[in-house]
Amino acid sequence: MAMDLLDLLDLSQSVIDGLLFGTTYSLIGIGFTLIFGVMHKINLSYAAASIGAAYLSLIVVTAVPTPLVYAFAALVGGVLGWLIYLICFRFIPINNPLATLMSTVGMLLAIEELISHLTYGMPQNYPALFASSNFEIGQFFLRGDLIFVFLLGCAAMVALTLLLKKTRLGLATRAVAQQPVAAQLCGMGVNTTNASTFIIAGLLGGTAGAMAGAAIGVLSPLMTLPLTVKGLVVTVIGGLGSIPGAIVAGLIVGGVENLFQFLRGVSERDIYVMLLLFVFLVFRPGGLFAAPGGRD
Amino acid sequence: MDFYLGLAQVIGIHTLLGLSAWCVLHTGQVSIAQGAFFAIGAYVAGMLTSMWDWPLALALGTGTAVAGLVAVAVGFPALRVKGLMLVVATTAFAEIVRLFFFNLKWRVETPDGLAGPDGSLGFGGIRYFPSNGWTTFDVNLLIWVLVGAVMLLLWALDRSRIGTIWRAVGEDELAAQSAGINLTAAKVSAFGIGGAIAGLGGGVFAHYATHIEHNNFTILLATFAIAYPILGGLSSLAGTLLAVIFIQGFLLEGLRFIGEWRSLLFGVLIVVVMLVRPNGMINRSLGIGSLFGTKGAKPSGAAAKPGSADQKGAPGHA
Amino acid sequence: MLELRNLSRHFGGVKAVDTLDLTVRKGEILGLIGPNGSGKSTTVNLITGVYQPTAGTVSFKGQDISQRAPHQRCELGLARTFQNIRLFGHLTVWQNLWAARVVRETGWAGFKQRWLSGAAAAREEAEALLVFGDLAHKRDMLAGNLAFGEQRRLELIRAAASGAELLLLDEPAAGMNAEEINDLDNRIRSLRDQGRTILLIEHHMELVMEVCDRVAVLNFGRKIAEGTPAQVQADAQVRAAYLGTEEPAAA
Repeated sequence: MAMDLLDLLDLSQSVIDGLLFGTTYSLIGIGFTLIFGVMHKINLSYAAASIGAAYLSLIVVTAVPTPLVYAFAALVGGVLGWLIYLICFRFIPINNPLATLMSTVGMLLAIEELISHLTYGMPQNYPALFASSNFEIGQFFLRGDLIFVFLLGCAAMVALTLLLKKTRLGLATRAVAQQPVAAQLCGMGVNTTNASTFIIAGLLGGTAGAMAGAAIGVLSPLMTLPLTVKGLVVTVIGGLGSIPGAIVAGLIVGGVENLFQFLRGVSERDIYVMLLLFVFLVFRPGGLFAAPGGRD
Repeated sequence: MDFYLGLAQVIGIHTLLGLSAWCVLHTGQVSIAQGAFFAIGAYVAGMLTSMWDWPLALALGTGTAVAGLVAVAVGFPALRVKGLMLVVATTAFAEIVRLFFFNLKWRVETPDGLAGPDGSLGFGGIRYFPSNGWTTFDVNLLIWVLVGAVMLLLWALDRSRIGTIWRAVGEDELAAQSAGINLTAAKVSAFGIGGAIAGLGGGVFAHYATHIEHNNFTILLATFAIAYPILGGLSSLAGTLLAVIFIQGFLLEGLRFIGEWRSLLFGVLIVVVMLVRPNGMINRSLGIGSLFGTKGAKPSGAAAKPGSADQKGAPGHA
Repeated sequence: MLELRNLSRHFGGVKAVDTLDLTVRKGEILGLIGPNGSGKSTTVNLITGVYQPTAGTVSFKGQDISQRAPHQRCELGLARTFQNIRLFGHLTVWQNLWAARVVRETGWAGFKQRWLSGAAAAREEAEALLVFGDLAHKRDMLAGNLAFGEQRRLELIRAAASGAELLLLDEPAAGMNAEEINDLDNRIRSLRDQGRTILLIEHHMELVMEVCDRVAVLNFGRKIAEGTPAQVQADAQVRAAYLGTEEPAAA
């Protein structure tokens, strides 16, 4: 298929839009990888909880300015994260990953159904910021709201990195992740630390949910499953347990998704994202940045 | 009465789905791809009877075989990764298959008009049962004979050398390897057999439903597939069947009492069951060792299981 | 029987095993000792195929097996026990043995063999091992529920059940009391008398010196001494590796 310059520009525009949206995927990927890194288990309900948090933030949408709506979503996300920790992780024996997996699946189902029922399945409008601004760089238009989403995502990631590297909580989280028994013997409360990991991940997730809503303009229960799948893809491509990996992988997935949407249309684009995952699994199963883990 | 016959059909079909997952879970693999093999079996068998007038047995057999072969082909690369990565890989595969069927358009002329899958409009007109005078009772008979045969097959496999090897792989891959077990062969064989069983279930499903579309084969279906053996307890086949009866009965019967909220309550139900009986309803301590890189699970101290995997009897043949 | 030639394994900058030459003769009990971190476990993993060598070769019965998968090496006659016991915890004692025994007869060749000799032969072998390991009375117990000493015995007979001609024992005496070590000593000798070759990695000096025909000593991934137990005990380098050198007297 011959592409002239205009097509190429359109393509690049699409990819750039995708990259900007990709920070949403990055945040979800980080959330998955955080929880996996600490508990060695996967929380499949994470994306659903994130969208749920965004929905709940709609409660205050008429009462407060938009930035606070996002903050509210993040906070609610943190609370939901804590609840999910209690229900699905805290009391299930640590050596039964299957039970936890199923439990989070049940949670995913419950959250999605709850959202559908309470909203009668109708998509809800979600406030965006800077939606009407556009920046021109050369031949490209960068949507203001996407840029904002991108910057907010970056800010969240920076905050997370600072938290993990510079604070006591972050140190405790990393210690518990690597050696839970030894950490306990050193006086760290494993349960408290794990709970805080879930809360942190939840804060990130709530932000991601809000951003997804802001970028797309609406919230819909149909978003939960694709977001879950893409988030998992990001986590694996980035390397399990690697936060930088999830960041980069999120951008890649966002870009690739839009690339193939431009080339092949919406109904086929996900096939290519999945194929990208398969390529990684075959040639680089450790992901982009394999996390420093012990040899088995 | 008809309602219960209808319910029995659904239970039977879902039991096949659950058994396919049981098979794969036995080697310690968590696969979200069983719904995809179900779909492959459904489309292949459905197309063969409605587009080219194949007899049912042959169509079902081919659907089963194709699903099994695809499972083996996908298994080789996919099973090189473990734990969470396998979950993601199989999820991705499931999505690819679903999207493939969403886009599949293949129509042929038959005496009764156009037949075949029609892209996003789905695949209708799989009218083998009505056209050949099958009653609900007949269909039920077919389904349950198949369920019985599959359960017998799996029971025999579990008792045999293959079963012991599968379980050893599920327990500790490193020890199994060092004892001479070919991991790839064991995992791919379980995956392939599981895929074939799912394909069989799918083929029957297509004819039962007469109209199938990509939405029937979402990841949600795949989570149902693994929910049955996990909720029912991995140590016994009967557990899976009981779980299907319990869940499907709950979901369909429940329609009468709690209406639209039944899916929500299903989700809550799963959460509750996992809190109360994390090893499943019928539990005889078959843990899945190092699924996600954690150390092997401690056995719950149960005494030896009677029957099932005991090797006191005559050893099975491969 | 087993020959390691110029074997090296590097992990990034760390040379865990460095140009190691080692031969295990058929029918002998060779001990491999060395301070912690000297590369003993890495050597075992190289021999069994868990790691691929960075350089050098591993040969077994004259064949180069450096690139073979672990289960293939087991098929050729190499089996091991693990430092941290790795039993199939939810399988019974019998099933643990049976899994290792049965896998020798899979595939078409196995089918023919079973057809010809009957299934009884395999079961008799496994039963005999069960008796040898003093675990016959616990055959239906879940392996994870056994006492520690019993678990070690089960690992030992499971490795033997693989039909191994060369048994790699990775610190089998760790955590044992004197009586159990004595017992282990006898079992190792019995296994050798049954026609097997043994490579014993151990920390327990008394056991090593008692039961081994020859001993090789590793330090920092290299072999620093080799010979009979007496020779190795007298070697100055070995003493230095374990005990350190003498401080020069203060002036």
